[in-house]
Amino acid sequence: MTASTRPSSSIVMSRVLLWGAVLAGGIAVVAAPLGYAVAGVPGLVGGLLGAAMGLVFMGATALSILVANRFASSDAYPAVFLGVVMGGWLVKLVLFLIVTVLLRDQPWLEPSVLGLTLIVVVVGSLVVDVLVTVKGRMPAVTDLPPSRRID
Amino acid sequence: MDTTVVAELTGNIATVGYGLAAIGPAIGVGIVVGRTIEGTARQPELSGRLQTLMYIGIAFTEALALIGIATYYIFGA
Repeated sequence: MTASTRPSSSIVMSRVLLWGAVLAGGIAVVAAPLGYAVAGVPGLVGGLLGAAMGLVFMGATALSILVANRFASSDAYPAVFLGVVMGGWLVKLVLFLIVTVLLRDQPWLEPSVLGLTLIVVVVGSLVVDVLVTVKGRMPAVTDLPPSRRID
Repeated sequence: MDTTVVAELTGNIATVGYGLAAIGPAIGVGIVVGRTIEGTARQPELSGRLQTLMYIGIAFTEALALIGIATYYIFGA
């Protein structure tokens, strides 16, 4: 590998992040008024918070792959990749648990709206991931000559 | 013969539930990432493709873990 080569998945991961954010924004726009109609201001907060949490926690994996790919030219790339992606995953789940404990029994939050919005964002971002990957037109080989490199 | 309490457990059974919910995704993500590293070691030039496939695999598996925790908000209330 040459020093300037990045794995071709970086483009797809950037697109996954972008469309994931668009999806979460769209779901927040729908979920917040629905939550407000069902449970008042706590429902509104639940809808917004659920969409934000879904975006952060589904986007973190794509982000960690992007960060790990910055070390593609390093000899220790497989180890760095494993450390960053798996370490990021572990930190993310621990953060998720801490947030869950902190948000427990808060009077300004309707937890059912938050949970339902979160599940909708998670399932929706799976669909986005698959669509972006299928339409990604990713080159089969990472080491393209500089003239044909697209990232 | 009178019975006495020799051991007592306190806490929330939901903790056990989280542990159970974490086992499946942990095994799944471990296999997915491990196989990707294996594939990258065999054919480094395919790392981009393998990573994208791995990302889809991780996304589907971790969705289980996230939904598992999200159910706390729905059923815990």
